[in-house]
Amino acid sequence: MNKFSVRRFGLLLRRDFSAGYKSVIIAMAAVGGFIFLVTVVSALGRQLGPIHKTMYYPLLFIGGYVVTSLAFKELHLNGQSVFYLTLPGSGLEKYLSKLLVTSVGYAFGSLFFYTAISAAAEGINRLIFGYGHPFFNPFQRYTLIAVAVYLVTQAVFLVGSVYFRKLAFIKTNLYIWLFGIVLAVLVAVITWLIFRDFAIGNRIKLEPYFQRLGESGEMQAVFVPMAEKFGQVAKVLFWGVMAPVCWVVSYLRLRETEV
Amino acid sequence: MTESLTETGIEIRNLSFGYTKERLFSNLDLTLGGGNIYGLLGKNGAGKTSLLKLICGLRFPDAGTCSVLGWEPQNRPATLLEDIYFLPEEFYTPPISAELYRQIYAPFYPRFSAEAFREYLGEFDLPTKKRLSELSYGQKKKFLLAFGLSTRCRLVLLDEPTNGLDIPSKSQFRRLLAGAGQEDRIILISTHQVRDMENLIDPIIILDEGQIIFQQSMYEVTRRLQVEMQMEQPSGDRVLYSEKALGGYVVVRRNESGEETQLDLETLFNTVIANRDRIGELFAQEDMKVPERDSAGGLA
Repeated sequence: MNKFSVRRFGLLLRRDFSAGYKSVIIAMAAVGGFIFLVTVVSALGRQLGPIHKTMYYPLLFIGGYVVTSLAFKELHLNGQSVFYLTLPGSGLEKYLSKLLVTSVGYAFGSLFFYTAISAAAEGINRLIFGYGHPFFNPFQRYTLIAVAVYLVTQAVFLVGSVYFRKLAFIKTNLYIWLFGIVLAVLVAVITWLIFRDFAIGNRIKLEPYFQRLGESGEMQAVFVPMAEKFGQVAKVLFWGVMAPVCWVVSYLRLRETEV
Repeated sequence: MTESLTETGIEIRNLSFGYTKERLFSNLDLTLGGGNIYGLLGKNGAGKTSLLKLICGLRFPDAGTCSVLGWEPQNRPATLLEDIYFLPEEFYTPPISAELYRQIYAPFYPRFSAEAFREYLGEFDLPTKKRLSELSYGQKKKFLLAFGLSTRCRLVLLDEPTNGLDIPSKSQFRRLLAGAGQEDRIILISTHQVRDMENLIDPIIILDEGQIIFQQSMYEVTRRLQVEMQMEQPSGDRVLYSEKALGGYVVVRRNESGEETQLDLETLFNTVIANRDRIGELFAQEDMKVPERDSAGGLA
């Protein structure tokens, strides 16, 4: 009862909705207007490629990451932080309410919203011009994969939202870049250490090495299965580990927040 | 079955806390029971707000224990939060009307009384349709106070509640709070505005140098301390505190006559701060001898 109550969870969701619905309506009007305009103008110019896939992804990813980065904004504002932390609700309830809204809520909300807006825009195109872009299909495989990727990666921005007092979206992006750079440097150093015998100047030429492996049969016997295993591990890390780790880290951080 | 103090009150034992390596509190002990409006007094930086935050789980102790209504506040259990209302000095009001605020936030508090809320709003003469963000600072504070008292929480923590209130509002505040006391309710008020709290807060808690140096009821204060005005500058060991005032000196002495005098909170605070050891000894004495008076009314 202390950890999770459906009643309190519902109250928190209701509170978040009533606090944010006006901003959501304004954002929807702005984004909807933009989508509408681009759809009609590009039809007018007879550019009839798969425009909706191109436009939905930024809405899903960039929009979703921005929304997620703002999820715990009140935790970092004077006055509001005291109000939020003393609001009757457990840490778990508060955390799950934000997680639900920014992950599943945003993904399916944006999917529904985009489908409706693009369908309306394409209907008008067909009425006015007699033609239009292909309709946006929310059940297309790539769209559903994009939604799944969003659900996993937004967890990183949720960590940023709990950790950073200001500019959480920008700071989280910077940290992701920094992480990428560190990883790239690490891979470069390891590659250099392993394959330095193949170095010609400051470049590593691996063609002779792979040729030799191919000839000896080692490539098929050892390296291909190893690469497959590596791919499997990377998939498990991405799909199964990354998001839960981020959820636990951000939940613990929320619990430990002092103001 | 009688509930233990830890289930109905606040029990702090050997609590240490600090923002830096330098401790704000070291081995602080405090016990508060229900049915009182406690006044928490202290100099700037003494840690009054920090103590309130520790009690409601916004800050975590470095060492020691803090038990509030039977719960550890640093875990911020929902059941405890349903029973605590904290009005900080720097507060937040969302940009919604009082009525909508009630609809959204009252269900978080299981014992919320809508009837009491309406009464308090009326008492403070607050609009219900206007957005809270459009109200003045004092009006916002009165609104949050009205809401807090209507929650029927067993623990109400108020940090500088009269700051920013106009003169009529201060009277309304006192009246409202005096009527809001319940048998099982602890109201803890941290304040500098001691004059606003006269005849309201009792017992008095004084925090200084990381310790509770004084925690006494006004009855005990009156019984053990005596205040009087005199023309000449007082001297002698029996004087605990004196200060120059209009028309003479206000002098605080040990009450040896048994006569009750009205010691205001500001003078009491200054007396305790200036003589913490002597005051500590005086109040630690189990009982006091009240000497006979001579024929002239003076002490024999």
